[in-house]
Amino acid sequence: MELLQIIPQFLISGLTFGAIYGLVALGFVTIARASQIINFAQGEFVMLGGMVTFFFIKSVHLPYLLSAFLAIGVVIGLGFLLHLLVIYPLRKASLPILLLATLGASLFLSSSSALFFGTLPKALPPFSGKDLLEIGGVSFSAQSLFVLIATFFVLFLLYILSHHTHLGKAMEASSTDPLGADLCGISRHLMTFLAFGVSSGIGALAGIFITPLFYVSYHSGTLIGLKGFISAVIGGWGKYGGAILGGFILGVAESLSIAFIPAGYKDGVAFLILLLILYFRPKGILGSPFIDSRRW
Amino acid sequence: MRKSALSFIFLFIFILSFSLSYSAEKSPYKVGVNFELTGPWAEITKTLRNAMVLEVERINQRGGINGKPLELIFEDNGFEAGRAAANMTKFTKDPEVLLVVGPFEDTLQATTRAIAEREKITNIIVCPSNRVLREMKQRWAFNIAHNDIIVSEKLVDLSLARKYKKILVFHAAHPLAQTLAEYYKRFGEEKGLKVFISPETHKHTDIDMTPQLIKMKPLIEKEKMDAFYACTSGPPGPIVCKNLRALGMKLPILGTHAFGFGFIIALGGEAMEGVEFPGAKPVVFDQLDENDPAKSINIEFDKRWRERYGTPSDQIAGYGHDIIGLIENSIKRVKGKVTRETFRDALENTKGFKGTHGLYSFRPAEHDGLSKKDLVFVRIEGGKFKRIRFPGFE
Repeated sequence: MELLQIIPQFLISGLTFGAIYGLVALGFVTIARASQIINFAQGEFVMLGGMVTFFFIKSVHLPYLLSAFLAIGVVIGLGFLLHLLVIYPLRKASLPILLLATLGASLFLSSSSALFFGTLPKALPPFSGKDLLEIGGVSFSAQSLFVLIATFFVLFLLYILSHHTHLGKAMEASSTDPLGADLCGISRHLMTFLAFGVSSGIGALAGIFITPLFYVSYHSGTLIGLKGFISAVIGGWGKYGGAILGGFILGVAESLSIAFIPAGYKDGVAFLILLLILYFRPKGILGSPFIDSRRW
Repeated sequence: MRKSALSFIFLFIFILSFSLSYSAEKSPYKVGVNFELTGPWAEITKTLRNAMVLEVERINQRGGINGKPLELIFEDNGFEAGRAAANMTKFTKDPEVLLVVGPFEDTLQATTRAIAEREKITNIIVCPSNRVLREMKQRWAFNIAHNDIIVSEKLVDLSLARKYKKILVFHAAHPLAQTLAEYYKRFGEEKGLKVFISPETHKHTDIDMTPQLIKMKPLIEKEKMDAFYACTSGPPGPIVCKNLRALGMKLPILGTHAFGFGFIIALGGEAMEGVEFPGAKPVVFDQLDENDPAKSINIEFDKRWRERYGTPSDQIAGYGHDIIGLIENSIKRVKGKVTRETFRDALENTKGFKGTHGLYSFRPAEHDGLSKKDLVFVRIEGGKFKRIRFPGFE
């Protein structure tokens, strides 16, 4: 009886997390669709989005909105640099080597953030003044709604980009059919370069939207990046819709699991779900354009 | 010729012995410092380091202790037990190092204490002791911060003064938070409180406690809890407060003495309003009683701190100040030669040393310097720490 009363509250909390994971997952998918690279520095972009905004507000004393836009600009710049300094020089290396390179970049970015911005955690104020909303006995913060809106807005933009622009189609072609892309005169390196920019922008946006809900510190990107990656794999590696779906499944499952088991196991639930999905549907729920299911 | 050579040798020996004795007199008292200068607590330990450096410079400008300067040797342990142990061992192997200060964090202290015990060197640790370590009755380790027992006793006083009857405790999943919760329950129930320790816990790295709090909500409503005790430290403190308020629960929140760090208010924002906790004296030093010796010590220290670093001093800087003060005070009380053994004995015999945090006294059976009297009731109001008083409890 008690359980039934609190389930709606768990669902709302899960949906908030789902939206966050989905937003982070979209960043992973954007790069994967253009180059098949798994960018493990994605979580660091999320962290930097919140961190740089905080820096502009507190140290340079700029307004919130301007700081947020500047932070997105700075992080997109870092995304471009990551491609130019790490990915491009390794263009002839195999994917596992690139994966390790992004892992190294992630450690570098988090340590640099500790040096530049300090190690104490930082919080941003919520976007709206009155933060608490209540519907039918279920309370949640208005910031959760903003995160939800941001997630679907980014999904919409990415849909337009990939289905209705030449640029988006060229990005996808360079990953799904490299030879065809070359023959059409598409510069695959340029496409990967642009994908890193888009993906880091999404990461920064995610960081700005979720920092008011929690806090940001130099090491907070790692776990959120990992959860975003898991979401992208659960939903179907390489699918935008899959990333969002995976995010919501993961968020709600994590939240609901706490209703039945102690909270200490919450992070374990994410990996359990991933394992189950990989056992029974290796391509993810919506299927993946990159994973050849004939091998199973 | 032989005579002049002989006199030359005598002269040489004379000069040599003189210079040796001279250098021995001027050779400093070396203190090894083993801190988490990098890693998540880097900013906090840098405050500690700055405070210690400030105090050592002041002592040395006045001519040192017994005519000898004090010298700090810093090593970074990076918040890793392995490096903390390596630093500790390195210090113990240097015969000139008199004692070791640090680590700062609870998770590292068991390692360095064991080495201190084996190598017979004093180890002053900043974080509170915990029950398991106290039961080992180690001779060489001393803790500076207020321990779980006195904090829990003071919090029971606060609960009684506020007339809370039923309190729900939500503690972090580490030994210190666990013993804080247990002592609070034990002392509280002796005084007639009804204390519920939630089976739900949280980790230091958790960024959201909403699910745990949702699970507790029915209990809070059913039992009509009077207060909620966020038994934790660091970022989880403000996170718990934020999540609790976001779920629409308005009951009063109690905190631990770790809520006295300035960044806690910045992190929790409005959700921190009204949170009450047993706080250290430097947190509200300007609001202490006029006859409290800690008040003038804090004001004087804060003035020097501001001149040097441009910010107000805080609880952590206060620990740094007190550690150097205790070292100076103990060395001065040593009769005869200052060795690791005599220094330890002198430190253990410290009685009522006045520091920014209050009065430090050690006994062979008691290596935690501070007592319940060194805590005050603090409330967060208007984004600031405010001292609150209850007649009969303070």
